[in-house]
Amino acid sequence: MAGTKALTPAVLHILLALSAQERHGYGIMKQVESDSQGKVRMGPGTLYGSIRRMTEAGLIRESDRKIDPHLDDERRVYYGITARGQQALATELRRYRQVVAVAHERSLLPEGA
Amino acid sequence: MDGQRRCYRRLLRLYPRSYRERFADSMEQTFADLRRERVGHAFVIWIFVETFAGVVRERATDLARWTMVRNAADVFRLVKYLALAVGGLTVAGIVTVMVLARGTGEDITGVVAPALLLVALSVVTAVVAAIFQRRGRREPVSR
Repeated sequence: MAGTKALTPAVLHILLALSAQERHGYGIMKQVESDSQGKVRMGPGTLYGSIRRMTEAGLIRESDRKIDPHLDDERRVYYGITARGQQALATELRRYRQVVAVAHERSLLPEGA
Repeated sequence: MDGQRRCYRRLLRLYPRSYRERFADSMEQTFADLRRERVGHAFVIWIFVETFAGVVRERATDLARWTMVRNAADVFRLVKYLALAVGGLTVAGIVTVMVLARGTGEDITGVVAPALLLVALSVVTAVVAAIFQRRGRREPVSR
């Protein structure tokens, strides 16, 4: 996953959400929605399925169970990005930059974009 | 606990066991969080449908892994029996040569030595294949 293969949108958004800090499942969900200005909405099925595959691929890791002071007093599993995950994210973002550069060259982007 | 959360918990039971043991509590928590902050029946229905799609996906993934593990175990079993067959036939060959050469004074070392080496290799191959076959069977597969 961390090699040359492109990341799926769900994986990319989860890595992006975890790039700044560790988050629990619902925190990831909210951050993904915020990062995408509400365009990407991830349900629990997609989120935890992706988390499973990403932990297996070594892109993210399970952290301690902690209490989120903003939500309630339930302990939650937090997830954090690994060095491999950061590398995969950087590779993917570079790929996106190249795509945007090509689009610029061909004047495919609308004015002001 | 309200009815919707109970129904969601039941839905989570459809996930493969390993997945359920690891994520069911977190998913239920997330479901409660979503319902606390967002309202509407359509949204709850969407969560149920999305989670059910997740169940199908994870079941399919587990089935694919299980099939691969089973295929690998079958291949190792075949290798094990082939190695045992080769080893057994070679031993039979050595015995035959020794019986035929008895009393003739002929030097059969040149035939028996490589044959014994082949037997040793066959035994090692069979043992290794048996270990891999057993390991393949033990691979954690959730139902």
